[in-house]
Amino acid sequence: MNQIMIGLLLVMAAGMFAHGLWKSRKHHHHYQGIGHKHGGSVLSVDYYAYASHMRKWNATFKVIFSMICLLLCLIFNNIYVSLAVILIMGYMAVVIGGLEFDHYISMMMIPIVFLLFGSAAIAVGFSWDPIGEYNLSVFGLFYIYCSKASLWKAAGLIFKALGAVSALYMMTLTTPLSELIVVLRKAHLPKVIIELMNMIYRYIFIMLDTHSRMKNSAESRLGYVDFRTSCYSFGQVASNLLIVSLKRGTDYYNALESRCYNGDLMFLEEEKPMKKTQVVGAAAVVALLIVIKLGA
Amino acid sequence: METSVVREQPILKVENIHFTYNGEKKALDGVNLDIYEGERIAVLGSNGAGKSTFFLNINGVLKSEEGQIFYRGEKITKKNLNHLRKNVGIVFQDADNQIIASTVMAEVSFGPMNLKLPREEVVRRVDKALEYMNISDFKERPPHYLSGGEKKRVSIADIIAMESEIIIFDEPTAALDPQNAAMLEEVLAKMGKEGRTLLISTHDVDFAYRWAERVIVFCDGKIIADDTPLNVFKQEDILERANLKHPMMFDIYDILKENHVVPDEERYPKNISEFRNLIGQIQSQ
Repeated sequence: MNQIMIGLLLVMAAGMFAHGLWKSRKHHHHYQGIGHKHGGSVLSVDYYAYASHMRKWNATFKVIFSMICLLLCLIFNNIYVSLAVILIMGYMAVVIGGLEFDHYISMMMIPIVFLLFGSAAIAVGFSWDPIGEYNLSVFGLFYIYCSKASLWKAAGLIFKALGAVSALYMMTLTTPLSELIVVLRKAHLPKVIIELMNMIYRYIFIMLDTHSRMKNSAESRLGYVDFRTSCYSFGQVASNLLIVSLKRGTDYYNALESRCYNGDLMFLEEEKPMKKTQVVGAAAVVALLIVIKLGA
Repeated sequence: METSVVREQPILKVENIHFTYNGEKKALDGVNLDIYEGERIAVLGSNGAGKSTFFLNINGVLKSEEGQIFYRGEKITKKNLNHLRKNVGIVFQDADNQIIASTVMAEVSFGPMNLKLPREEVVRRVDKALEYMNISDFKERPPHYLSGGEKKRVSIADIIAMESEIIIFDEPTAALDPQNAAMLEEVLAKMGKEGRTLLISTHDVDFAYRWAERVIVFCDGKIIADDTPLNVFKQEDILERANLKHPMMFDIYDILKENHVVPDEERYPKNISEFRNLIGQIQSQ
């Protein structure tokens, strides 16, 4: 049975890889339109979402689909289901969404590193006696050991978590936050939270901009010349940022009021229709996951 | 005023408004102003003279302590404040302080959405405003991936979508590069031609002189001059009080006059092409 499963997953992977190659031959440049702005990894997530080809898809559909995949991955608790989810989500983000494979892998490395360290504790144990299928003596004092069962358990855990993370990644790497906020609003999240999310999201970029300018100006006057000065400058920049934010808050509110703001933050939302092929595809994926679970 | 034509009722009538920021020095100290339809008004004055405060007052964001504002003869009270906000739009100096939404389309729709218009109407206005500012391609983009000039255009589209009768620009050319400043001036010329009522605060006297048909000078919370550009820039005492300079064309004409190159007829040219015509005429004589 396991061989069939592994075979199935390999065939899937090969097919996806082939499709990816074929597509990348057709369009070489994934990023048209939006000018690149460099920033931290948080900013690049935001940027990838805007540049994604899957941005045209209905946001609610993407959120629901990724949630279903995430839940199936957790509930089924099956290594093959997890692997299938990882493959399919990666395929969607990279091949359909047009995200560069290197970028996707570097995004995935963040959880992978955490997971490897975290599950090492599950795979490996310490003992005074040589037990388990594999053990290693340390200076003849104690043994580091692990068993096949514990290795499988760790692997299952890693893949389960990675499957869940990749489902969320598929969502965040293809859907801009502004659209996610709309989905949350449709899910009847309290209005206060929705409006705060909207404003904070917009404000993060303004703050980052202001901060980088202040930091540059401090740096140009040797503000970070040694550790002591750096600490001092950091404090100055941080406190200044607070004051500037408060002031900008007032300006912001004036600008809102001048456009008839009366307590409800409302924007025009684009209606992106769901396509039949997308729904059928999603249903097929869910069916496949169920079949894998039943088969394994 | 230069004409004796009986003018119709002003769109906006400001009577003796006073305003103070938390009990400090008076920001506005008895301002009176009538704004008529289709006027192109340049508002001059140094920083802190009260221009921005005045704008926020006539938009209804700040409430004056004394005095009244009439919109088309109707006195503005707390109840019809939104009437004022709807019909007087401000394009703020710093676009980053104005842009609130996370896509250009959502941003431009903010005003019309607040007016509680039906969806189709909002879509129509947003599309129209984006087209007017030539930014239809940016519709889907988030503001933080736009350049300074593009953000400025978005902030102008914001107000166009509200279809306000009076549009105020608070120092629009500040922080714009020459290319974007030229773009902005084109837009202003286009709006002027369409007969829109525009108020622009600026430190650029050359711009004020060539663009405006009426100039208002603020100084210490008061209006110290309100006349045609020519008449304002001729009053040395006013210019000195408000720390203003002559427009370049003014000085050039004066120098030519002193040297008897041009006759003393007060035919101050407004821009380079008028100047060229003037010189051409004189040479052909």
